[in-house]
Amino acid sequence: MSSKWYHQILFFILLILLQVWFFSRIHLFNFATPLPYIYFIAKLPSNMNRNVVLLLSFLLGFFIDLFGYTMGINALASTIAGFSRYYSLQLFTPKDLPQKYTPSVQTLGSTFFQRYIGFILLIHEFVFFLVETFSLFDPVILLIRFLSSFVLTFILVIVFERFNFNFQKE
Amino acid sequence: MRDLINFIFKNIHWLFFFLLVFISSFLIINNNEFQRSKYLAFKTEIIGKGHLVSSYVNSYLGLRETNQKLIRQITEQESLIQKLQQQLAELSVTMKTPTFIDDSARFEKYEFIAARVINNNVSGVENLIMLDKGSNQGVENDMGVFSLEGIVGRVIHTSPNFSVVISLLNPKFRPSCKVVGDNSFGPLIWKERDPRYAYLEELPRHVVFHIGDTVVTSGYSTVFPEGVPVGVITSSEKQTNDNFNSVKVKLFTNFITLKEVFIVKMNNKEEVQELENTFETNVE
Repeated sequence: MSSKWYHQILFFILLILLQVWFFSRIHLFNFATPLPYIYFIAKLPSNMNRNVVLLLSFLLGFFIDLFGYTMGINALASTIAGFSRYYSLQLFTPKDLPQKYTPSVQTLGSTFFQRYIGFILLIHEFVFFLVETFSLFDPVILLIRFLSSFVLTFILVIVFERFNFNFQKE
Repeated sequence: MRDLINFIFKNIHWLFFFLLVFISSFLIINNNEFQRSKYLAFKTEIIGKGHLVSSYVNSYLGLRETNQKLIRQITEQESLIQKLQQQLAELSVTMKTPTFIDDSARFEKYEFIAARVINNNVSGVENLIMLDKGSNQGVENDMGVFSLEGIVGRVIHTSPNFSVVISLLNPKFRPSCKVVGDNSFGPLIWKERDPRYAYLEELPRHVVFHIGDTVVTSGYSTVFPEGVPVGVITSSEKQTNDNFNSVKVKLFTNFITLKEVFIVKMNNKEEVQELENTFETNVE
């Protein structure tokens, strides 16, 4: 993905539309709903100001809420995921990296990238489903929904990244 | 000082993060019915626990008055029973009724749950009352609440052990009431900020009421049974518009010293509502 700002904006809008019109309507086996829009946050440059990352995360979730009639839930989950990004970058990246890079399979390597994105997704999906249920009334169902959605989203994001990788090589 | 500013500036993202989390939570609670109800139930439970402690202490202070009131109530009931039994005996002799028609189902229409007021407010514009019984004890939304003296309010919200009641001293609660002997009915509305008086509105213009006439609930809803005492008329009717009159009613219930109340459970509420619904759909 090019780091040009209008590409980022297009990417931002594209992910919101995809989420609202397509992914949010998927309920695979009545459980799994993918939430791959957080991919946008994962792909922001590594040295970006943390406040800007937070604001973008919030806005991303907020716009999805706006179109999806789930006021605030995505915004909250996305904000917390955006906050966790910094720690994920600290924990799951190799040490010998340049000052500024875009997290991807290319820059981090496949294993590190999967861990990095997995950590963010895990937090995001967990917050999302916890807030959506808003109680521990049926923890087993909650856990199944959370884990199945996590796996589905993870696969989707890795596929995204794969396409992106090919695109970047050309 | 400079260190402090530096520290805050360095960790500004934490503040920003909590601000955004706060905004999102605010959005969630304000715009999603389900999450909102969960939040309210949680809040009610917490606040209720606090009020429970204070009311536990307070209940001892009013014990003497409560006792006297109960004794008075019992004596009244007792004398009424005596009177009715006497009447019944007389009637059964004169009319020689062989058997009574068994309509016991009618009398099991209502059940009562005794509850204690643990938080009460009479000075606000929209007053609410909190009771120490909740959904665990069988309290549900839209149940009527009355005291030994008269009508109190309607349950609007329940948590496992507490419930919130919209008081009669709240313009949003308009129980249907009627004047004894005449049966013309209308909504009772609390308008002035005086906890002793309310207004019975939408009464027909041609009927004349007298000061001192008793007002009771009409029973035209699934909230209250018919005949729960409400108050007495204290002023002659005033014309509110072309078709209706209104009268000022002095309430029986003393909301300022309210302690013991009863919650009415109507057993065939679902049936009535179902019937109403089918009726409405058939008309459409």
